[in-house]
Amino acid sequence: MIIKGKLREYLNNCYQCAMCSGICQMGRIQKYTPSRIIQLIIEGFEDRIVESGMLWDCLTCNSCLEKCPYEVNFAEIVRDARNKMLDAGIMPKIAHKGFYTLLSEIMSKENITPEKTFEWVPSGCEVSEKGNILYFVGCAPLFSYEFDESMNNAVDTLKILCKIENEPIVLLKDEKCCGHDLLWQGKIEAFKKLAIHNIKSFERSGASLIITSCAEGYRTLKIDYPSMFENFNVKVKHLVEYLYEKLKENKIKFKKEKKNTKILKLTYHDPCRLSRFLPKSFNIYEKIRYIFKELEKVGYVYNEMVHNKSNSLCCGVSCWLNCSDKAKALRYHRMLEAKDVADNLVTTCPKCEIHFRCLQNDTETVQDINVIDLSNLLENVIEVIPSQQNKEVSKK
Amino acid sequence: MKIVEKSDKKQVKKDREFKPNIVCFCCNWCSYAGADLAGVSRFQYPASIRIIRVMCSGRVEPAFILKSFKDNVDGVLVTGCHIGDCHYISGNEFTKDRFERLMKILKYLGLKDRFRLEWISASEGKKFAELVTTFTNQIKKLGPLNNI
Ligand code: SF4
Ligand code: SF4
Ligand code: SF4
Ligand code: FES
Repeated sequence: MIIKGKLREYLNNCYQCAMCSGICQMGRIQKYTPSRIIQLIIEGFEDRIVESGMLWDCLTCNSCLEKCPYEVNFAEIVRDARNKMLDAGIMPKIAHKGFYTLLSEIMSKENITPEKTFEWVPSGCEVSEKGNILYFVGCAPLFSYEFDESMNNAVDTLKILCKIENEPIVLLKDEKCCGHDLLWQGKIEAFKKLAIHNIKSFERSGASLIITSCAEGYRTLKIDYPSMFENFNVKVKHLVEYLYEKLKENKIKFKKEKKNTKILKLTYHDPCRLSRFLPKSFNIYEKIRYIFKELEKVGYVYNEMVHNKSNSLCCGVSCWLNCSDKAKALRYHRMLEAKDVADNLVTTCPKCEIHFRCLQNDTETVQDINVIDLSNLLENVIEVIPSQQNKEVSKK
Repeated sequence: MKIVEKSDKKQVKKDREFKPNIVCFCCNWCSYAGADLAGVSRFQYPASIRIIRVMCSGRVEPAFILKSFKDNVDGVLVTGCHIGDCHYISGNEFTKDRFERLMKILKYLGLKDRFRLEWISASEGKKFAELVTTFTNQIKKLGPLNNI
């Protein structure tokens, strides 16, 4: 029996309402019915399911969990089963010939210590090795192998942080991949090694707050690290949360758009890792929408897509798996939805951005929508309210 | 206690002579012939390399290099025809561009000295033997990739 313990309990809770199969995002493009898979596992055909390799197809988008009345966490079951599938030699097809996954796997070796260079750090930004606030850059420098724009997100996030904070921001020289992709591909041992390395580096830096601008990195640092390593208890915030708090505290505001520039129509793609993969209490949906509301005050237009918040559609690739023509169809659909309501598709996951842009390269009909990361959008707009003024405001 | 044990093990390993494992990709039309010539002309070079013949250096995916490192190969050599000589006209130009990009990533992982891209023609048996010798020595100096 592969699926044991807590996950088994999940399975036994299932009462075959088939809600999950109805909502399944993979089901939109191929036959995929989680409820049947669950039933087959319960009936004892687990081996067949594992052998067939069909669990590699799941997008781990968590749409099914969102709708399931008994909170059967199918994605987590898939994650564990994948680990066993690897042992059994049933391999997935990874996009880009596995390039990015291999990088993470190499990094997970204990005797490999990355030597990050910081030539990309924008001038005027002070960075250091020790300090309070740490910016977890993530894989962006690695993605620059093929995707030239991949560093923009990191550069702009750092610019924002430097603008708001008066102290140097910590960047780790030996920061490794957070391990998200490996975890969801079932390579749990390698994931743990990465996590241990990173946790040690965090400790060494003395940081009390980690900020990330990546949805996957956030979910991994915020949920998966603490669940596996009890001693990891540094505060983690996504840029969205961070900016939301600064707005609420009246520390920053958005600049007015110049009158004669074109009005920007925005819409927002909720990445699964920053929506369905977080406990409801995090309320990221509303936090990001609060930011957009503030933006509307300074002359932007914000429209919601048909599928939004917890319903939002998947970009079609998760942890570099499943990139195929079918997945492209998912992505295409998502971009058409965005095109209907806006001309700027904002997201907070660098990978969603990469996959969307990739589709634009070979599909003309979606080329006229601008895919943009939140940090790129906000970098020019944020204005820091000087602290004195700040006090006056609070006195009033 | 454990730490002492570990370093002990290392000591034992170091005492044994380290024979690096090197993967060498050779393109069929020039460098493989070059390697062949090195053999036929009896130039001595260390038996540390395993040659993988590919039709063109353009066939070598960066993922192959990473896969080798992942599987604890100590060094990787990629060889092809000189620029302008590629049997498929521009395969090696493509290779060059690709590996320049990969080099950036390898640098970041601290693996840049374990990888080398060289052009070797069919008549350069001597050069091939020398390349393998110097590269093997370089890797020997660096030590095994997986020394734990
Ligand atoms: S929605 Fe939940 S309870 Fe219903 S079939 Fe799917 S897993 Fe079972
Ligand atoms: S996680 Fe997504 S793709 Fe996988 S079964 Fe659930 S809804 Fe379908
Ligand atoms: S959508 Fe493009 S960038 Fe994303 S995995 Fe597929 S090929 Fe790669
Ligand atoms: S055939 Fe030798 S490099 Fe292309």
